[in-house]
Amino acid sequence: MIPEPILAPRLQLFAVGVLLVLFGAVVRMVRRHQLNLRDSLLWLLSTGAGLVVAIFPELLTRFSDLLGIQVPSNALFALAFVYLLGNLLVANIAISASASRVRRLAQECALLRAELEELRGAKGPPPA
Amino acid sequence: MRVLAIVPAYNEARNLPGTLAALRRAAPGCDVCVVDDGSTDATARVASRLGATVLREPVNLGIGGAVQTGYRWAEARGYDVAVQVDGDGQHDPAWLAALIEPIARGEADLVVGSRFLPGAGEGFRSTPVRRAGIRYLALFLRLRCGVRVTDPTSGFRAASRRAIELFARRYPSDYPEPEAIAVAARAGLRVAEVPVAMTERQHGRSSIDAWRTLYYLVKVSLALLLLPVRETARREEEA
Repeated sequence: MIPEPILAPRLQLFAVGVLLVLFGAVVRMVRRHQLNLRDSLLWLLSTGAGLVVAIFPELLTRFSDLLGIQVPSNALFALAFVYLLGNLLVANIAISASASRVRRLAQECALLRAELEELRGAKGPPPA
Repeated sequence: MRVLAIVPAYNEARNLPGTLAALRRAAPGCDVCVVDDGSTDATARVASRLGATVLREPVNLGIGGAVQTGYRWAEARGYDVAVQVDGDGQHDPAWLAALIEPIARGEADLVVGSRFLPGAGEGFRSTPVRRAGIRYLALFLRLRCGVRVTDPTSGFRAASRRAIELFARRYPSDYPEPEAIAVAARAGLRVAEVPVAMTERQHGRSSIDAWRTLYYLVKVSLALLLLPVRETARREEEA
């Protein structure tokens, strides 16, 4: 007797399609310099992993058995949740770092502007 | 002794003339720099017309970033003392000399102007709820850093050269006043307090409304609880 497939073929096809589109979109953004290669890595990896699981759903069953999770989809949800949290933390760290750089840059701008005005004042107004 | 008054200002074009005039009257010998924290009004124009050095930030950084800009200017220009005076007219420059005195005597590196010390007179002392919050922060600072201050949220303060160098490198953002005291204390600077009177701001609303008071307390508590990595007062000189 052939065992019931874990994923209905139609659903499987749909999932693979969605993931391929996502993968393509990320690659496109990298090539157009809208997304750093470094920042894209997490997305490419996760989409790649999603594709593997969508094509070989048995992997998920094996994984959930390993962890003692009864329903394979719950293993997927748990994984996705942890993965998203991790991603969020990485993004937040990047934002914090950017914020302190912006602060430094803005301060430097203010100091330079004051220096410039001082120099201009010493030399008299610039010619019209 | 070269003294710089740092006046952080965000949309204070209406309050600035009064503040700057009072500064000139009370401390004619001290240089004034107004930090325009990305204002959308005529703050920068008014300040420069009144003869102050204007440090104009292209974006709004908040009070912490603005004050630090002033400290970085003081550091670069070799000032011996920097005094923070709010641009909104709350801080009466008449108290400036008293604020600088402990530094001039070599007894302190950071002098906080307190509304709650004897001798402060009957000025503006905030609402009872906020006073309770201020007492709580003072207690927290004492327990965590061993600093005794009565008015940790006061932004009317003077910094010695050592404190200027420290703050130029590290100054907290987002309600920075109590945390800056912690930063200074942990770097081994001497913190002192002198009585000052404050007035209620003349125009516009305080940047801290009722709802934000709670955020203020939570944020500062967390900052004091976590206490960032210790900073040394002076960069290691290259051998």
